[in-house]
Amino acid sequence: MSTFHDGSTSTHPYKEPSPLPSSIPKVDELGTTSAPLKSAAFFIGAYCKDYNEDFMLCKAENRDPAHCLKEGRRVTRCAQDLITKMRENCLKQFDEHWSCLEANNQVLNNRCRKPERTLNKCMFEKLVRPDQNHPGSPPSQKPIHEVEKPVFTGVQK
Amino acid sequence: MPVPWEALIPFGLLTAMFGTAGTLMNVSKRGQNLGKSPRYHVDPWDEMMMERDKRLTGHIRGQSTEPIAPEGFATSSVWYTQKTN
Repeated sequence: MSTFHDGSTSTHPYKEPSPLPSSIPKVDELGTTSAPLKSAAFFIGAYCKDYNEDFMLCKAENRDPAHCLKEGRRVTRCAQDLITKMRENCLKQFDEHWSCLEANNQVLNNRCRKPERTLNKCMFEKLVRPDQNHPGSPPSQKPIHEVEKPVFTGVQK
Repeated sequence: MPVPWEALIPFGLLTAMFGTAGTLMNVSKRGQNLGKSPRYHVDPWDEMMMERDKRLTGHIRGQSTEPIAPEGFATSSVWYTQKTN
């Protein structure tokens, strides 16, 4: 016995295979995965600040995906530009840092300070200096990423 | 006096069994996570990022630093639907 099921009643995951219409300018998606993105997060924030803020303000106006396509393309292009430059200039330090993050549940904590400091040193000289001002941190203490002898380091793995 | 070495057998057994169990667990977990220790405290954001990593590299723990995504990534995202009537 078979019954007809309308397509809208499906409970299976759905993939839309057709690409965007050709009237929309084509921008390739960012191919960086989660750990390198987390490692580059502060640098993306500083390098692409204007485009990111534009996009967020646009989204705050209207959550419809079609409304913010232009700002979204700019964000993608800026991030791609920065990742390309990071790979050209600081590839070794970048790889070390995100490999360390990946081995530590991708948490930016004291366990990966050494590679983080070498990556920061390389990036500050060559590319961009992000403002690592952590809002909400107590002003009397040094920011945690600058503390020389932290109490909580890692466990032996 | 002869040393009662038979009394140490249980200790040896315990060590061997705990050690084997722990080692097998570790090997099994690392095998599932491409040689790394498993992710913990995974929240919906991390789940979303791991699913994106799977679309980019083929495994939820796979990583890459390519600036351009591979062919087909833009249309491979999955929308979960539900019955409404």
